[in-house]
Amino acid sequence: MRPDDLAALSPLLILAGAAVAVLLAAAVFRSHRLAVALTLAGLAAAFASLSIAWPHAPRPVTTLLAIDHFALFYMGLILAAAFTVVLFSHDYLATTCLPTEGVGQTSGPRREEYYVLMLLAVVGSAVLVASVHFASFFLGLELLSVSLYALVAYRREGRLGIEAGVKYLILGGAASAFLLFGMALVYAALGSLDFSGLARGFARGDGEGLLPLAGIGLMVVGIGFKLSLVPFHGWAPDVYQGAPAPVTAFVATVSKGAVFALLLRFFSMLQPPRHGALATVVALVAVASMFAGNWLALLQTNVKRLLAYSSIAHMGYLLVALLASGPWAPTAVTGYLTAYIVTILGAFGVVSVLSTRSRDADGVEDYRGLAWRRPWLAGVFTAMLLSLAGIPLTVGFIGKFYVLAAGVNSDLWLLVVMLAVNSAIGLFYYLRLIAVLYRPPSEAAAGAVASLSLPLGSAALLTLTLALIILGVYPAPLITAIQACLP
Amino acid sequence: MTLAYLILLFVVSGLLAAVVGRRFATGPRWVALAACIAAAGLALKFLSPSSGTAWLAELDVPWVPALGIRFHLALDGLSLLLLLLTAILGLMAVAASWNAISERPGFYYLNLLLALAGISGVFLAMDLFLFYFFWELMLIPMFFLIALWGHENRQRAAIKFFIFTQLGGLLMLLAILGLYVAHGRSTGEYTFDYPRLLGTVLAPGTALWLLLGFAAAFFVKLPAVPFHTWLPDAHTEAPTGGSVILAGLLLKTGAYGLIRFALPLFPGAAAQVAPAAMVLGTIGILYGAMLAFAQTDLKRLVAYTSVSHLGFVLLGIFAWNTLALQGAVMQMICHGLSTGALFMLVGALDERLHTRDMRRLGGLQAVVPRLAAMATMLALASLGLPGLGNFVGEFLVLLGAFRVNATLTTVATLGFVLATVYALWMIARTFHGPAREARKLADLTGRELAVLLATTAALLYLGLFPQRVLDLAAPGLDRAQHAIAVEVSHAP
Amino acid sequence: MPEQTSALWPLGLYCLAVVAITTVILGISHVLGERHSEKGTAIPYESGMTPTGSAQLRFSADFYLVAMFFVIFDLESIFVFAWAVAARDVGWSGYTELFVFVGILLAALAYLWRSGALTWGTGGQAHAPRPGKEIEP
Repeated sequence: MRPDDLAALSPLLILAGAAVAVLLAAAVFRSHRLAVALTLAGLAAAFASLSIAWPHAPRPVTTLLAIDHFALFYMGLILAAAFTVVLFSHDYLATTCLPTEGVGQTSGPRREEYYVLMLLAVVGSAVLVASVHFASFFLGLELLSVSLYALVAYRREGRLGIEAGVKYLILGGAASAFLLFGMALVYAALGSLDFSGLARGFARGDGEGLLPLAGIGLMVVGIGFKLSLVPFHGWAPDVYQGAPAPVTAFVATVSKGAVFALLLRFFSMLQPPRHGALATVVALVAVASMFAGNWLALLQTNVKRLLAYSSIAHMGYLLVALLASGPWAPTAVTGYLTAYIVTILGAFGVVSVLSTRSRDADGVEDYRGLAWRRPWLAGVFTAMLLSLAGIPLTVGFIGKFYVLAAGVNSDLWLLVVMLAVNSAIGLFYYLRLIAVLYRPPSEAAAGAVASLSLPLGSAALLTLTLALIILGVYPAPLITAIQACLP
Repeated sequence: MTLAYLILLFVVSGLLAAVVGRRFATGPRWVALAACIAAAGLALKFLSPSSGTAWLAELDVPWVPALGIRFHLALDGLSLLLLLLTAILGLMAVAASWNAISERPGFYYLNLLLALAGISGVFLAMDLFLFYFFWELMLIPMFFLIALWGHENRQRAAIKFFIFTQLGGLLMLLAILGLYVAHGRSTGEYTFDYPRLLGTVLAPGTALWLLLGFAAAFFVKLPAVPFHTWLPDAHTEAPTGGSVILAGLLLKTGAYGLIRFALPLFPGAAAQVAPAAMVLGTIGILYGAMLAFAQTDLKRLVAYTSVSHLGFVLLGIFAWNTLALQGAVMQMICHGLSTGALFMLVGALDERLHTRDMRRLGGLQAVVPRLAAMATMLALASLGLPGLGNFVGEFLVLLGAFRVNATLTTVATLGFVLATVYALWMIARTFHGPAREARKLADLTGRELAVLLATTAALLYLGLFPQRVLDLAAPGLDRAQHAIAVEVSHAP
Repeated sequence: MPEQTSALWPLGLYCLAVVAITTVILGISHVLGERHSEKGTAIPYESGMTPTGSAQLRFSADFYLVAMFFVIFDLESIFVFAWAVAARDVGWSGYTELFVFVGILLAALAYLWRSGALTWGTGGQAHAPRPGKEIEP
């Protein structure tokens, strides 16, 4: 460990330190505000330390991690997203999860541990985006997953939360096992655990044969689960529905984004052949995800489940960009992920802000007439939904445009036409939801405007909406930044 | 810069209307009125004798340099005509909504003005990315106009409208990207700039597919016959102001796109599909007219006449000679004016009677003589009475198309007969004959009368002195035709 | 491939033998074994007293908690052991790393202690109940 290595690692170190600090603070003071403040400070400090790490990039730190501009960009994205999630979480927990002053009340969970878990999940994600080795890959993934198992089931008073947690735990464990076994098989065939060694092996032609193919196949299962790709998507709707809204936002953005970043690195280092088995499988998974996600989303009446299915479709779109494999593919994936993260954070932010103590606001009825009860919130939600649908003026359009451009540039016509058709299908449920927002409110809902002041969440929503529109209208800075960070 | 200001004018005044609307219910309509008048004034400024070849005005600044996207707006005679039409129909829509919109007027006028901004952008954009941007942008406010202030089945109609046009638009986006990549590969310059993309050398198969992608968007919007099913629903369910914009302007964007982009960019492929497209146009003329005749809902009837009239435009565009193209442009403008006014009239009737069912109407001539007179006048314009603008347009289209395909043109001429049938039938059922129910209604107000009279005067002017408009459109059309001529002469 | 196969065949034979022997033993006892179903057959301790109550007792969750803590902290000692073996080779930087590691462990311990997980019978609540205060339902 040289000082340069430490400087390059500083974001990770600060994050880990922040997790311990919040843990100790929780042990001593038990103050929600303090925990939130420490978490936010930790995330902000880690974000600031990206600039310390920047001049040292690209730099391999041990064989496990590579701190390059790619990793630093994704870390920045993850940190910003996590910062926003924590802002929502503060308001959410302050509303839904009252402090356990009452002694012996065993059902009320404490609020401070939430932030410890979240910081640990962020550390895991940050390790993932920097990992160039199967070991750090698995380590980061497990750190992320284990923290999420607990976070998903954080609200223990309801049946849905527990169900979601157990489901995520068991399926996630199975997926990890698949992944690990796949890694082992690949290692057995190629004799290497780090990506560059694997890439050399594949270039030599060691990657052909049954053993590495089976290994890669098993890894696809594991990664497919984490990204909720069809046919490994079964958990997504239940977990999205059962988890607290900010945690759902975290699962949808940080967790998936980090895994996808790793996938992107893996793909661009390995350069799998265009018409090889892996590319075919990924293409099939992409098509299945797009269609299944959108069709099933059409049937949903629960907003969180709807967004879950829509996220399945969005992961399918992203795979199209991943397959494009031209010079535009990394930019397209990164641009789309950025757009997706901003948008999904905003959408779940609205759900989170609307949630009451007894339940999350996830029924379509909760949104009826929102435009007349809380016009700003409805405007934000409309913008987010339009962005998910990929309508111009929003950042979602830029992302979708880039993905289509990358696909066309690589002559993946079949896939891009499917993407276009699916966008039109997707439009139907987004528009239906928007139409609900502007319907006259029902009598019951009109009376029940428990408008608490939620300063942090509202500020976060405002920032996200501004980002959504500014990047949608003038995306040049974002594109320049992405291109500067990619190899 | 003036061009950007024009679009900005609509956007800013829209926001202003929304802000004003929070305090004063009657404020937004004045803002909208002022915005449309100002826009008309700005557009009129360009109506000086044109030099012929260069753009009348242009704005070209980089937007997303990494992708070769520029904020390129330019104006020629063709765009100018349509821009003027936009401002005028904007006025008409505001007039039609004056008292009809009592619910959340601020948001209503915001959407109306944003739709106008998007439409102006479509008519001005010379960068394909920008064009697509505005193309999609005009849909969202339209969606809200229909979904929030429409009639009974509004949400279904709005969603149907949006999905149809969006799917077409996405296919166009793919075609744009295909062209972008093809141009980049052959010249090394990745750009969305329309003048530079003109004359891109493409393999014939590629060109055909790309043209079909563009056509998907424009045929849906126009609408050409198999893709028209969204139109009757959307037009019928929209509020009057929305119907005016939809029929008067949105449909024209499809025709404009064909003239400006689809055909000049892919001349070879366009020549290939031209016979098929002309058949579609003819079918549209006849089918639209026959369906119009079968309607009992006045608004639906007017909606179907649009299908018929836009069939003429399609026929004229794909005949692709000067006469037919000029006819198509003329038809676009006159159809915008006359159909907009007809929708306004139907809206006025609906406001007074709360029904548009012709089976329940009749004998209104005696009750509302001024309204009946105006309706008769506009129906005559719609059926193509010589002396009014629509006649000039349709006649020129037929004249031009006759040189290309005599059989089809002869069949299309039947459209005149059918138009006469439905237009007079509509007048007869609504205003003449015995009154089904005794009614006492207010006749047209001064505001409505003024707008309708001005429209009629404009139609009359266009019918009697069409040369001025044809001259204005000529340079743009010439350039489009020239691009094709060059391309075809280069082709082996 | 053939030489690998030849090296592996004793293992395969061994597996087969295991399966065969267990099958034979179980099979023989199944065939020859005595079977009866009288009144008391299903009761545990057939020859002794009749059991009372259910065998499925509810254990306090604290048992699990303690077991878990034991496993966790016991496992961590493996890392210390690994360091001890290579202490001279890894030098001061290794020492610092171990220091940080143990520090984090201590922080975790402090957290557990403060949040009452080490106190038996409080249900893991943050602050031990003060005497005299009623337990809320």
